[in-house]
Amino acid sequence: MAEENKIEKQLIEKAKNGDKTAISELVHRYSSRIYSLALRIMRNEEDAEDVLQETFIIMIRKIHTFSGRSSFYTWLYRVAANVALGKLRQKKHIDSKVSIYESEFETLRGSGLHNWPDQLDSRINDKQFRECLKQAMVDLPENHRAVFVLRDLENLSTRETADILNISEANVKVRLMRARLFLRDQLMHHLKCMEGIR
Amino acid sequence: MIQHTSHNQDLIKLLEEQLGKDVDARIIREVAEHMEECPDCRVFVDSVKQTIKLYRVTEKETSIPDNVSERLFKVLNLNR
Repeated sequence: MAEENKIEKQLIEKAKNGDKTAISELVHRYSSRIYSLALRIMRNEEDAEDVLQETFIIMIRKIHTFSGRSSFYTWLYRVAANVALGKLRQKKHIDSKVSIYESEFETLRGSGLHNWPDQLDSRINDKQFRECLKQAMVDLPENHRAVFVLRDLENLSTRETADILNISEANVKVRLMRARLFLRDQLMHHLKCMEGIR
Repeated sequence: MIQHTSHNQDLIKLLEEQLGKDVDARIIREVAEHMEECPDCRVFVDSVKQTIKLYRVTEKETSIPDNVSERLFKVLNLNR
């Protein structure tokens, strides 16, 4: 691990000096993870590819500003997340400072809890159920989706997520809980429609 | 004496994540104890945990497709 960090540090230093081989190596190392992150946030391949390309264009332009205070992937994730959220805001004119769905989130807690099915895992191959999972992610407000993706899917810590999204740790926790509740509620709604659960 | 079952430990972990490790451990244990005994709270926590699990299973990391990688290196004017 220490050896790997040393190699990466050398690559970054070379990349800062414009070494194309080092830059290529960094792109190779991180392009899959960045593409996956972009796809999870953007929800479509075309937009994910745009985010991917823009992220690495920025990486090449700005790598000289990387100070090493955070890990390189945290720095790169921050670039990618900002590019992705910027694109989503452009599309939907979202004001990042306003927490939308505030009132809707308030009503989520506890609704129909006693009817939550025991074995949902068995539905994982059900096409309609998978569509429902996808649609719920699309419907999740972008700022909350980004937190859910970074914390629950990319397994980053609260601190790293806060750092990447440039928000407080408290805000990460609030958004994460709201995101989880929103998704849970959407699944519940879908299951009610499918099976007439009351 | 609190029995730390695996379920209880999961609950404590979830609470720590949500409330922060700076919250008094005793309070976290008391909330976890209540949730273990309260059917509504238990279903609530289980449903949230199951939702996360479903997304972890269905949203697996996607490898970059070869043609996407090819276009990326072309745009960046780099050799693959």
